[in-house]
Amino acid sequence: MSRIKLGRLMLVVALVLSLSSAAVLAQNVEITILNSKGEIQTQLEEIARYYTSITDGVSVEVIAAGVGQSPFERAVALYASGNAPALLMLDAGDVLLFEDRALALNDEKWVADAIANSLDMATHADGRILAFPATVEGYGFIYNKPVLDNAVGGEFDPKTINTFDSLRELFEQVADSGKDALVIAPEDWSLGAHFFALAYAAQSADFATINEFQAGLKNGTVRLAENAAANGLMDTFDLMKEYNYDRLDPLAGLYDRGTELIGEGEVGIWFMGNWAWPQINDFDKADGQYGFLPVPISNNPADLGNTQIPVGVTKYFIVDGEQNSAAQQQAAKDFLNWLVYDPEGQRRFVVDANIIPAFKNITITPADPLAASILDYVQAERTMNFVLNLPPDHWAQVGASMQKYLGGFIDRATFFQEVEAYWQGL
Amino acid sequence: MATEKRFSDKLKTYLLFAGPTTFVFLTVIILPFLFGIYLTLTNWDGIAKTYTFVRLDNYLTVFKDPVFWNSFLLTVRYVLYTVVIVNTLGFILAYALTGNNVRGQNLLRTGFFIPNLIGGIILGLVWKFIFSTVLVFIGRSLDISALSYSWVANPNKVLWTLIIVSVWQYSGYMMIIFIAGLSNIPRDLIEAATIDGASGFNRLRSIVLPLMVPSFIVTVFLTIQRGFMVYDVNLALTDGGPFKSSELISMHVYKKAFLAQQYGVGQSQAFLLFVLVAAISLTQVYFTKKLEVEA
Repeated sequence: MSRIKLGRLMLVVALVLSLSSAAVLAQNVEITILNSKGEIQTQLEEIARYYTSITDGVSVEVIAAGVGQSPFERAVALYASGNAPALLMLDAGDVLLFEDRALALNDEKWVADAIANSLDMATHADGRILAFPATVEGYGFIYNKPVLDNAVGGEFDPKTINTFDSLRELFEQVADSGKDALVIAPEDWSLGAHFFALAYAAQSADFATINEFQAGLKNGTVRLAENAAANGLMDTFDLMKEYNYDRLDPLAGLYDRGTELIGEGEVGIWFMGNWAWPQINDFDKADGQYGFLPVPISNNPADLGNTQIPVGVTKYFIVDGEQNSAAQQQAAKDFLNWLVYDPEGQRRFVVDANIIPAFKNITITPADPLAASILDYVQAERTMNFVLNLPPDHWAQVGASMQKYLGGFIDRATFFQEVEAYWQGL
Repeated sequence: MATEKRFSDKLKTYLLFAGPTTFVFLTVIILPFLFGIYLTLTNWDGIAKTYTFVRLDNYLTVFKDPVFWNSFLLTVRYVLYTVVIVNTLGFILAYALTGNNVRGQNLLRTGFFIPNLIGGIILGLVWKFIFSTVLVFIGRSLDISALSYSWVANPNKVLWTLIIVSVWQYSGYMMIIFIAGLSNIPRDLIEAATIDGASGFNRLRSIVLPLMVPSFIVTVFLTIQRGFMVYDVNLALTDGGPFKSSELISMHVYKKAFLAQQYGVGQSQAFLLFVLVAAISLTQVYFTKKLEVEA
């Protein structure tokens, strides 16, 4: 029996030791950030290290949502384990699901400095502002300027692409110059959440009308086959399919190879967003000359979408109001303020991590050409809604239907039926 | 200590030796399992603090969901093919590598076993590269039409990419179990049969295979169970695509619970899956046990 007693004693000692070490650590404030933008993990870790070094007693740690793991799922698991980070970077559409957990941030200074509409997705019906707009992103046709210069025989002017016909002419010119005009990334998130979302965005410049359109799809009153924007968008998609680098095997492409093809100038155009810059940069042979073109959906340049690209806040930070202590919550708020108002914080967040900030007071801009192109569109007021309030599995379901259409397995009528059936089944 | 007759003594001994394990098993397996069943009766989305009871609605949704059953049937097809091929191939490899006259036996055994040591995600990514780039390159260079287009992108062939990778991954593992089984067959039986004039094929059919039934019970059980639960290779190799034509059941359940944010429905699917897989595995063990013989 003496051995058992010894064992018990050791357990007690171990317990006491672990308690006392916890007590020592509690004097510092430790906060954790859940990052769901994998491409800036290293930069964010560097920012956290720097912030830890300049503050007294606050240490910041960054954890990542796994590749292919939804940030929502990671956040849910962390909450369920009673171990929620102080700051969680979430997709725009998921923010309000955390209404019971997130701290209201209405009193923060940055609320007044946030750009127009950037807090829409973060504002609860009861008026609470639940999240901090972390990054602005946009998408469209990324073009490689040297390739297009060569194709049009001179300086390519992106403003000339404002109708379906002008896009067709450009594709023909690139094809005549001996290159493929574009490559379509066949990933369901790109096709579902970005490409087909253009059909919703092009309904109106007014967010409320887009919501009405979605409601119409849900209750079955909207017929996509009779909708001009949806048909126009699919006409453009047919054109893209015709000139696709992967037209022989359209579903075989990979995102990573798209970054290579556009960077090395094998194709002139790639449908994607500014988040792809770090990877394109690895293959860059165009000396950083890239930009965005809108995706035209008709032959009237005045139609919405022909000269606009979708831009919106795609990621938000929420501050946990439940499982972190008051000191940790305060530290998290201070960190956000530091990003917005401290010159060094601004520089590290915007320049080092290539983030387009959602704040008016930040005047520095990211160094990458895609972000610069988006800012040009924003300043010229040539933007439309980046529709982010779609149902959570919209990208997967509609993306799957888009893949069938891309692969030629279904025709347009069936495609529209599948999308309508998805909405009505919600 | 020799006389432990009273119940409390037995309990003490039990708790001393098996207590920690029982505690961990209860808290990590049993409690979450029961809590999971409880959640199937709610409409929880995974994060909200409030949810309502929907009784058996989630199960009704699952029963009426054709996508779930399609995915389940797809998984059954995948399991059937992998179980048959993995076990046949594993047995052939083991049989070929247990004779006395095979050179480099150990090297070959190690070689066949190695794929099993690679994690499913890495394996999936490596094979994705092989299927979508290497094989396509070979096919186009040599003008082989079957290889000229990526199998991963073809909804009719994508299931076979999963089967091929699983066979590659598990055959070596099953081979090791078969080798252990083969070396337990008494030499005297084989020798007696040889003296009686039994041919190699007859020895295999009438002596080796019947005596290998215990090994087959284990390997078939393992392959069935792993086949139904496969997720990592599915994720890394195809991610369910193109357009969900390779979305096996585990992935479907995961996506329902976490991407569609219908935790209750996803959990109901998971519970149903548990019942089905348990039923299939137990039936298999029950019937194959009947085939066992005494040496």
